[in-house]
Amino acid sequence: MNASTNYIIRRLLYLIPVLLGVCFLIFIIFNVVSEDPALILAGKNASAERIADLRQELGLNQPLFVQYLDIVKSAFTFEFGQSWSTKQNISDMLTRGAIPSLTLTLPAFVISTFLSLFFSVIVAYYRGKGIDLFIRITCIAMMSISSLAYILFFQYFFAFKLGLFEISGYEFGFPGFIPYIALPVIIWIVLSLGPDIRFYRTLILDEIYQDYVRTARAKGLSEKVVLFKHVLRNAMIPIVTYLVVQLPFLLTGALLLESFFSIPGLGGITIQALNSSDFPVLKAMAILSAVAYIIFTLVQDILYTLVDPRVKLQ
Amino acid sequence: MMLKVSLLLTALMLFAGCTKKANFKTKVLNLRVAADIKGLDPVNAGDTYSSYEMARVYESLLTYHYLKRPYTLVPNLAEAMPTVSKDGLEYTFKIKKGVLFHDNECFENGKGRELVASDFIYSIKRLADSDNRSNGWWLLDGRIKGLNEWREKSAKLKKANYDEKVAGLTAIDSHTLKFTLVEPYPQFLYSLAMIYTSAVPKEAVNHYKDQFVNNPVGTGAFMTGTFNQTSSIEYTKNPNFRDVYYPTEGTKTDKENGLLKNAGKKVPFVEKLVVHIQKESQPAWLSFEKGKVDILAIPKDNFDSVVNPSKGITDEYAKKGIELKISPDLDITYIAFNHNFPLFKNKKLRQAMSLAYDGVEANKLFYNGNGILAQTILPPGMGGYDEDYVNPYRQYNIEKAKKLLAEAGYPGGKGLPSIVYDTTAVTTSRQMAEYFRNAMKQIDINIVVNTNTWPQLTKKVKSAQTQTYGMAWLGDYPDAENFLQLLYGPNKAPGPNGSNYDNADFNKKFETITKMQPGPKRAAEYAKLAQSVAEDAVYILGVHRKSFGVIHGWIDNYKFSTFKHGHAKYYDIDLDKKKKLFEKL
Repeated sequence: MNASTNYIIRRLLYLIPVLLGVCFLIFIIFNVVSEDPALILAGKNASAERIADLRQELGLNQPLFVQYLDIVKSAFTFEFGQSWSTKQNISDMLTRGAIPSLTLTLPAFVISTFLSLFFSVIVAYYRGKGIDLFIRITCIAMMSISSLAYILFFQYFFAFKLGLFEISGYEFGFPGFIPYIALPVIIWIVLSLGPDIRFYRTLILDEIYQDYVRTARAKGLSEKVVLFKHVLRNAMIPIVTYLVVQLPFLLTGALLLESFFSIPGLGGITIQALNSSDFPVLKAMAILSAVAYIIFTLVQDILYTLVDPRVKLQ
Repeated sequence: MMLKVSLLLTALMLFAGCTKKANFKTKVLNLRVAADIKGLDPVNAGDTYSSYEMARVYESLLTYHYLKRPYTLVPNLAEAMPTVSKDGLEYTFKIKKGVLFHDNECFENGKGRELVASDFIYSIKRLADSDNRSNGWWLLDGRIKGLNEWREKSAKLKKANYDEKVAGLTAIDSHTLKFTLVEPYPQFLYSLAMIYTSAVPKEAVNHYKDQFVNNPVGTGAFMTGTFNQTSSIEYTKNPNFRDVYYPTEGTKTDKENGLLKNAGKKVPFVEKLVVHIQKESQPAWLSFEKGKVDILAIPKDNFDSVVNPSKGITDEYAKKGIELKISPDLDITYIAFNHNFPLFKNKKLRQAMSLAYDGVEANKLFYNGNGILAQTILPPGMGGYDEDYVNPYRQYNIEKAKKLLAEAGYPGGKGLPSIVYDTTAVTTSRQMAEYFRNAMKQIDINIVVNTNTWPQLTKKVKSAQTQTYGMAWLGDYPDAENFLQLLYGPNKAPGPNGSNYDNADFNKKFETITKMQPGPKRAAEYAKLAQSVAEDAVYILGVHRKSFGVIHGWIDNYKFSTFKHGHAKYYDIDLDKKKKLFEKL
């Protein structure tokens, strides 16, 4: 077994104590300090007896240790049981919700990353010149407007006034979903461009003043080769870090966009669960987010070795 | 790389350009629902939105007359209204013959079988089965002879025994059903108009098991396939729907409003029904303006552009053939005192606070002046509402309020501790809290506003930890009992009586009156009881809200109802008119 495999196995084993810790936090939040869900779930007409019965039926009267073990069990088996409010199987709910969420977030993330990287290299290339200033000011202006304003305006103007897109809705299956996700994807891209370009530009400018860049230029390499072959490659470690950290959030959906465009994704499921004190769904989302975060951190480490040969997994 | 990205973006734009075109050939009704639907099992009909969807597929023994007001119960799956024994304990129903469940794979050869009396017994047992955790159990809790015992016994078993007889549920023959109650309860009939008690076939529950919630099989005018969490639900006309006809009588104004032009015609009129789940008001409103949604409650932000100051529709929308529909809702808004709190045992303090609250101004600020100022807890449209009654303690009068406050023992507010007001963190609720705080400041009462999440507020109310709080109540059925029970002592927190008002005289009268059969005598008693608690200033009364809706000119037969269960079958679409009006949108 080589060092890299060893490292990956070790990191995967770390999942166990981390998950136990996550389960403990979830347990404290939902089973110890939160409001009594039976009061909400029993409905407005419920009597005191009915509320007490419901607590019993939901297992809220069980010893706390048993309740903690239930969370641990679901974290390691991914069996989350039934939603308290919809009576649906939670795994099915989340699987079905993940598809619309990913059809929106994944293309939006990929396209916005490529565009941001491209524009940031351009502004780095023309640093200090008019085009750099223009793009920087545009970025700041774009960042100064709230995401809700973009959503309201784009939906009104492009979908309603111009009729270029569906106002809201979703269809499962390719290519049926495209007319519905196109506008939210564009809004996501527009929202991401401002902060991303500024961030990548800073990273690239940090590299541009390094000695190796001066050496490369002295060797007579063109600015294009210097930027794309050397500078961009060396800036990749922070870029990869920045990108991979965002990946788990793609799974959890884009709350506002899903809500305004009626996309039946995980963001909406989470909010509905919050409003109805549907703890099993909230716990499942918390566990899945934690697992995704841990796994993507491992992926991030592996990607480091690909973008920078000096990094070794040990 | 940039070329690829540009191509991808262009492709997105091209695909996106393929937006759906309007349908002028088939009658497809497009409606909007403002929340996610939690599945389609009648025992889970706890939230209004899901219950509306269930009622498109499932039906109950009784329903409300589509046009008549006040709301009137009429037979639905029952052949006629029941015969009631003299002691008010036995209700015998004849069930319509030839009613078929939807064709579904759960039945032999996929053909829906005939509805029989035992289907109702099975469905009511499902409601009682604690395994189903129905939030509708309150409806029948302690009402039907032997049902509570069956529920308790079932809870101890691994699986409830549906074959075990319940004394109060008898199928006399295949189409005759008898209910025996524990004690007289005239409101029982309203229970049988609610979606919780609708007919569910045993075969479907057994076939789909835990997926029954997603596979509705009823007797209704519309049917749908497997329900998925999605952005819209599509229903098609049930080809085996029995002969049901559009009503031939209604209120005085229904004829002049064109609501009787289809009288006697077979329903449903539309071929298909699409319900769009749109949680945000902007997409819902834009979809309505584009003609993609046919009927919509006016979002708060669009109110002024649609409704003119004289409560008519503005010219801009009138030109597009859009019609405005205003109807009172069966509800009440109020600020509750927690009567467990010693301070609020002081009647004069409560009356003083009620007098210092300017309801007219609050109505203008928060309901665009459209609410009906509540004089008692009972809204218009139900027995016990007296439109001539004026509550002396709900009229804004600062001088009188100050005088009463002094008589209460707190002249100029001296000696009175700060009072906590709990509300939710929603913007409008916070504004209402601020308004209440300023109103009380006029008589030198200091209000401390405490904002909560909805679960926090619910917990506080249900565990009697509030001093005062803002709340609203939407009627479950059109009987004053459903409102007056909010003040019935035994219903104290965590029951529906969150104010913990417990007045022996009120409780006794409530118990007597609610057992009386409906009629003018009972209505008069309800009115007296409601007025007595109103003058006791148990709440600071708010308003009875009104519903403001818009419909496109191509929709026929639309009439607002608080209980719009299964009403889509009465709506019609004039396709020629739709084609013409669409050009104006």
